[in-house]
Amino acid sequence: MTTDTINANQTAWKAYEKFAFRVLFIYFFLQAVPLDWKYYQQLFSIDWSHLGYGAIFDLAHYEPRWSSGPPAYSDWVILLAIALAGAIIWTAVDARGGGRVTSYDNLYYWLRVIVRYRLAIGMIAYGFIKLFPLQSPYPSISNLNTNYGDFTRWKLFSLSLGVVPTYESFLGGVEIIGGLLLFYRRSASVGAFIIAIFLGNVFMSNIAYGGGDEVYSLYLISLALFVLSYDAQRLVNLLLLQKPAAPNSYHPVFRANGRYVRLALKTVFIFFFVILYGFKTRSGYEKDPYQFPLTKGLRGAAGIYNVSQFIVGKDTIAYSKTDSTRWQDVVFEKWATLSIRSNRPVVLDSDNVERPELTSDARTYELEGSAGRHYYRYTVDTVDHLLTLQNKNPHYSDEKWVLHYDRPGGSRIILSGVTTGKDSVYAVLDRVDKKYLLEEARKKGRQGTISL
Amino acid sequence: MSTIAAAATSWSNGQKIAFRIAFIFFISLAIPNSAEWYDTVIHIDWTRLNYRDLYDIARFGSGINIFGDHLFGSTLMGYANWIITLLISIAGGLIWTLIVRRRGTERKEYNTLYYWLRVVVRYRAGIGIIGFGFTKLLPVQMPYPGLGLLNTNFGDMTAQKIFWLSVGIVPWYQVFAGVVECLAGTLLFFRKTTTLGAILLVGALGDIVYVNFAYDGGVHVYSSYFVLLAAFLLVDDLPKVYNLLIRERYTVPVTFYPTLSARWLRVTRIGLKSLTLFLFLGVLFYLQLINFLYDPYKQPAVAGVRTLRGNYAVTEFRLNNKVIPYSPLDSLGWHEVEFENWSSLSFTVNRPTPLDLSNGGGDPQQDVNRTFEITGVAGGRRVFHYYADTVDKVLYLEDKYKAIPDRRNRAGDKAGGRHKGRRQGGDDNGTAKAGISGDTAQGPAATYTSGLEKTPKEAKGKSWIPATALAHIGKEVDQIDPRAASTRRDREYAAAKWEKRNRMILRYDTIDNGNRVILSGVNEKNDSIYIVLDRIDKNFALTESSLQAGKY
Repeated sequence: MTTDTINANQTAWKAYEKFAFRVLFIYFFLQAVPLDWKYYQQLFSIDWSHLGYGAIFDLAHYEPRWSSGPPAYSDWVILLAIALAGAIIWTAVDARGGGRVTSYDNLYYWLRVIVRYRLAIGMIAYGFIKLFPLQSPYPSISNLNTNYGDFTRWKLFSLSLGVVPTYESFLGGVEIIGGLLLFYRRSASVGAFIIAIFLGNVFMSNIAYGGGDEVYSLYLISLALFVLSYDAQRLVNLLLLQKPAAPNSYHPVFRANGRYVRLALKTVFIFFFVILYGFKTRSGYEKDPYQFPLTKGLRGAAGIYNVSQFIVGKDTIAYSKTDSTRWQDVVFEKWATLSIRSNRPVVLDSDNVERPELTSDARTYELEGSAGRHYYRYTVDTVDHLLTLQNKNPHYSDEKWVLHYDRPGGSRIILSGVTTGKDSVYAVLDRVDKKYLLEEARKKGRQGTISL
Repeated sequence: MSTIAAAATSWSNGQKIAFRIAFIFFISLAIPNSAEWYDTVIHIDWTRLNYRDLYDIARFGSGINIFGDHLFGSTLMGYANWIITLLISIAGGLIWTLIVRRRGTERKEYNTLYYWLRVVVRYRAGIGIIGFGFTKLLPVQMPYPGLGLLNTNFGDMTAQKIFWLSVGIVPWYQVFAGVVECLAGTLLFFRKTTTLGAILLVGALGDIVYVNFAYDGGVHVYSSYFVLLAAFLLVDDLPKVYNLLIRERYTVPVTFYPTLSARWLRVTRIGLKSLTLFLFLGVLFYLQLINFLYDPYKQPAVAGVRTLRGNYAVTEFRLNNKVIPYSPLDSLGWHEVEFENWSSLSFTVNRPTPLDLSNGGGDPQQDVNRTFEITGVAGGRRVFHYYADTVDKVLYLEDKYKAIPDRRNRAGDKAGGRHKGRRQGGDDNGTAKAGISGDTAQGPAATYTSGLEKTPKEAKGKSWIPATALAHIGKEVDQIDPRAASTRRDREYAAAKWEKRNRMILRYDTIDNGNRVILSGVNEKNDSIYIVLDRIDKNFALTESSLQAGKY
């Protein structure tokens, strides 16, 4: 076993290796370290006294962008061009004997540290909002009462995950474990390998379902592959070629103070992005899941209602599945959202980017990628029995109504008023005691006998 | 390389005992445990294959089941079979140890036998996962939802249905999943790539195990089976990786390959390996492609009447000549109607009905028995299969729902009776939750030999369809592309008899190019019905894929 020669091999860098390394160094440094002024604007606008998990999530969701739009592969090309130019200059300077780097092993080590930590917090940020199933919540009453074909693929993906919180937690757990392994040099490649496989699937899902995190997931994959590449040769030797493999022989040397600084930085970093963030997401899951509004709805009204009577102007309109004005059913959510199913077409709100929203009004998950129903947020005036409705879909932002509500009996609500079209509307709603197969089958199991 | 060989020349006592137990355990898990599997394989017609013939070779029940599949009166969610097998293996391993010690014939090592055990496990896992993977690689395992399903509320489905559909709506993603599974299987056929294949298998199938628990998918035991086999294949590698990366030590892989010097040994090895690759990569791919193109196994394969296909609003519904006005609360009339691309009529009625909660898998050849459209679906939906007499414009319809479904899980259900008269929650491909029971292949003759209850058959030869209409309808078995014909299909159709099902006979008249359809005739209760349907052009938010199974 000739460990000496192996060590020697590792430290001797060839010219082309150095050049390639310089390119990669600049490229990954720019990818991983936030230099964008917008990032610091975000950082300094955080209200630290009311720090929420959303703010930490945003800090861990950084990706350098040259435009204000969603991240694009073109951003990477620009970074690569900068890295190439930088490497040429670096090489030229180096050749003239200026700014000579004494140890590329050392530089490689620190670059890998940066990428490892960047990747770790990115994974953990997503991991916790799945471990505590916030990202894809259980479907709302309106979502349960929307036809399968009235959802986009991306929405169906999210709803399908939302019906199984335990599975969502499991996926989050995998992300967190992968992330935690990155905090330690020796286990980093194992973590990166788990992450690369996991994110490979996420990336494919984003393409297939039309998700908004395609570029971001590939970005994280590129970081994972960079981390893994350090040990790739060893692992290929050992596992595929079945040859003896030499371990990593580079160990960073810290002077006395350096050791404490390192320990302190690592502790603070892990405390903030793992422990604090973990607690914040848990309390968020218990008190304020971000996909649905927090504002409470009309008291005791949650449920789905058949529209027994429907009058527009002076005309009673009979039940119809084809008439575009006739309401077919109405849902009151537990929160202050009301949705109406009718044959009136819906221009989709097709937002598909993950972003924990702080204010209730900005939370539009329930209607994103969903047709078949129109969604309204409302405020209740309990004195005059008025509901002030506002269509939640940005395509219908000018749609505002004020409806009077009347609750003659336990399960009946009568709405009357004037809609945007200046027509008076009068609707008698009767609550339906709807049984969902999704829930019945869960209670009884698929081995049981169910009639619905 | 002498050091490497030296490392393997002597095994510790513990290693040897563990090996003996593992040997019995994994061999038991790798060979079919029911006579039916062998019977099926013998009866395969190799000249006119169906994809399911090879699939059935790849998928079988295993594990020791002569003492049943129950432990403490429970199947332990299907895992009892493993535990029983393990207990027997431990006993066997100890007896083996005792015998070799008494006789003084104990070996120093089991390198050769261990090598061959790994070969058996590698090929078992590889062939099994490829059989599974090809139904995804050519995406038929999770079908794209038909019109009836698209018009069903999200909450009116079981979690299992929701998961299956969530993959069905993205066929290209299903292809990707299939590629991963087939790749993992293929890598297991070669010893140098075994580790990579096993890692892929653990990753992909580990996720599927969890999916099955979460969504009550029913295939958790079979998917765990692959995780277990793959984990066994990784047992030697994990300590090495730990040694290299975590402990940062120089690591020498210890591998033992027997020398196959005799010519006949080499020829046999290469021959068997080539045959496996040819059958399970070449032939199976072709058969699966044919299945995808012309006979997607979960969807009815025969094309529906072209002018009828589409979504319809029920403009008028008369029951015994009395108009029933539409109301969501009404329980008599039909509320919406869909004619699928294939031979199915789907409609909704607001009246509770017993539901089929299985997952509509298995291997039925007859369209009437392909039930993916109704399984795990509520919302008042009814689906009828029809035989169309396009000359006289009459549809002969049969309810897809049966009170007692066909037994889909055959060989693995020896314990019997547990599912008697109940719906099997079972699996995608026919397996219920009993052990690693495969949906072993069956000739149609064997289909109804079980002691389970079955849907009563009507007297042979007595048809509810008049002879002239039957002549117009033609033989359903021949109504798919001739390239998809197979002996399996022929046998099942030949053995089929009319079953007791709800039936309707409806005349259809199309007006204005099928924009209006009038159905009239008698329904399943012998009431006369008259229905005016108007076509609706629906723009679903869900966008269809460029990849569509079947030819309609």
